[in-house]
Amino acid sequence: MQNILEVKNLTKKFKSKPGDFTAVDNISFNIADGEIFGLLGKNGAGKTTTIQMLLGMMQPTSGTVTYFGKNFNDNREEILKNTNFSSTYISMPWFFTVWEILDVFARLYEVKDRKKRITKLAEEFEIDHLLKKEFYMLSAGEKTRLFMAKAFLNYPKIILLDEPTASLDVDIAMKIREFLKKEKKEYNVSMLLTSHNMNEVEELCDRVMIIKNGKIVDEDKPENLAKKFSKATVELLILEHDEKAKMLFDREKLTFKKNKLRFFIELDEKNISNLLMNLAKEKITYTEILINKPDLEDYFLEVVKTEDQERNKNELE
Amino acid sequence: MNWNRIWAMVIRHGINTKHSWDRLTDMFYWPAMDLFIWGLTGIYLASLGTNTSHYLFIILSGLVFWVVIWRAQHEISINILQELWDRNLVNIFSTPLTVWEWMMSFIVFGLIKCVVSVGFSALLAFLFYKYNVFSFGLYLLPFIVSLLMTGWAGGFLVGAFLIRYGGKIQTIAWAGISLVAPFSALYYPVSILPLWAQKIALCIPSTYIFEGIREILFTGKFSMDKLVISFALNIVYLVLSIWFFVFMFKKSIKLGLGRLI
Repeated sequence: MQNILEVKNLTKKFKSKPGDFTAVDNISFNIADGEIFGLLGKNGAGKTTTIQMLLGMMQPTSGTVTYFGKNFNDNREEILKNTNFSSTYISMPWFFTVWEILDVFARLYEVKDRKKRITKLAEEFEIDHLLKKEFYMLSAGEKTRLFMAKAFLNYPKIILLDEPTASLDVDIAMKIREFLKKEKKEYNVSMLLTSHNMNEVEELCDRVMIIKNGKIVDEDKPENLAKKFSKATVELLILEHDEKAKMLFDREKLTFKKNKLRFFIELDEKNISNLLMNLAKEKITYTEILINKPDLEDYFLEVVKTEDQERNKNELE
Repeated sequence: MNWNRIWAMVIRHGINTKHSWDRLTDMFYWPAMDLFIWGLTGIYLASLGTNTSHYLFIILSGLVFWVVIWRAQHEISINILQELWDRNLVNIFSTPLTVWEWMMSFIVFGLIKCVVSVGFSALLAFLFYKYNVFSFGLYLLPFIVSLLMTGWAGGFLVGAFLIRYGGKIQTIAWAGISLVAPFSALYYPVSILPLWAQKIALCIPSTYIFEGIREILFTGKFSMDKLVISFALNIVYLVLSIWFFVFMFKKSIKLGLGRLI
C-alpha cells in the first residue's frame, strides 16, 4: 500500500527555564492509504504537538512531514486541500449558526457542491435540525458532531482526528465509529486518531503507536500490543474444596485473590490450560468460569504505570 | 493568492459583523455620536467670532476622514482578535488559507466597511451641518486611499503583536492607532504642536492629508507635494508593516498557533 503520510525524525523543542523542553522527540511513522492509525499517550505525551506539526500550525525543530509523496513545507496549500482535522479542544465562531460555519469552511476548501455536501453531512452526523442554531447554544456532543461534519467537508484523503468521540453519547459515538469505518471502506480515507477510549482504538485502528514524553514507546497492531501484556485473569466460582484450591494455587505460585467463593487468579495467558488441567486432576470443580484476556487498555495502563513509576523515582532522586 | 478563499474569509468577517452588536455600534453609533458632539462644538466655536466659520468644516473633515484610518486599522486588529476570541485560528489555518490571503481578506473587508462607515458619517455631516465631503472633488479619492494605507500599516503593525503575543495584549487593538491621532493634526495645524512633536508629525503620512484638507478649506488650493510625501511614506510603512506581520506570524508558527486558542 502507498504511504499517504510519512513522518521522519520529527522533533519539537521549546526553549524554557531551566533547560530546553523536548515535546516531541525524533518520532517517525507512516500512514498507508486507507489505514486508520492510532496515536496514544497520556495528556502531555506530545500527541497534540505532533498533530499541530502535521497540519503546519507549528514548525518542527527538525524532521520532515510528507503527504502524498510531497514535502509539506513546499506543497502546503495542495496538501491541506486534501486533508482535514477535528479536535474537541478547538472552538468555532461563537455566534455563527451551524450552517454559516459549515458554509464558510466549505468555501475555504472550495467545495463545489457546497449546499448538497453540507446537507448530506448534517444528516450523517444528525445535526440537520441544528443548522439554524448558533454555535454557543450547542451541547458538547452537538459541537463535536459539527467538528466532525466540518472535517469531512472537503472529501479528505487523510483526516487527523483528535479525540473524535469525546463527550458524545454512547449511541452517537457508535454511529460516528460506523461512519469512520464506512469512509475508510468506501473512499479509502486514511486517518490518524487520538483517543482515550481504548475500545474505540481497538475497534477502529489498524495500527497503533504509543508515545511517552514525546518518544515512541511502541508501534504495532492493537491485538499485537495487547498480547505483549500477557497477564490474564481467570475468575472461578468454587463451591466446594476451596481450601484445596487455595493450596493448589499456592503450590503453583500463582497470584490470586479470594472474595467469598470467587477466586481471581492472575497468570500468563499461555498457562490457563495448565491451571484448568490441574484443577481437573485435583477434582476441584468450579461452577462458573470467566477469563479476562489482556487488551490494549491493559498494555497502555502498564506503559503508563511504568512512566509514573519512573517519574516518581526521578522525583525522589 | 486564491480569491475564493479570500472571499470566504470576507464572508466570515461579514457574518461576524451581522451577529455582533459591538461591531455594528462601532460602524454606526460611535461615528454618529462623534459627529453630533464635535459638530455642535464646531458650530459653537464658529459662532464666537466673525472669521471662524471654517472651524466647523475643519472639525467635520477631521472626523469624517479619521474614520477611514480608524476603520482600516480596526478591521485588521479586531478581526485577528476575533479569531483568537473564537478559538478559531487553528481551524482556519488547517485549511489551505495562506497568511497572504488572510491579510488580503482584512483589506477587502476593511474597504467595504470603510465605504459604509465613511458614507454614513458623510451623510450625517451633510444632513445636519450641510457639510459636503464631495466638495473636495478629485482630491477625495487620493485622500481616502492614502488614509486607508496609513490605517492598514497601523493595523498590520498592531496585528503583528497580536498574532505573536495573543489576546493578553488586546488593548493595543484600540489604543494603537490612537497614538497617531495627536501627531496627525486632525483638527489643528502641525505648527501648534511642540517642536519635538512636529518632528514626529512630519513622519506620519496622515499629517500631510489633514494639513492638505485644511489648505483646501482655507485657500481652495492643494499642494501636490503633500500628497506625494504622504503616499511615499505610506508605501514605506505599509511594506514594513506587512513584512513585520508575516515575520511575527512565522514566529508564532514556530511556537504553535494552537497556543493562541
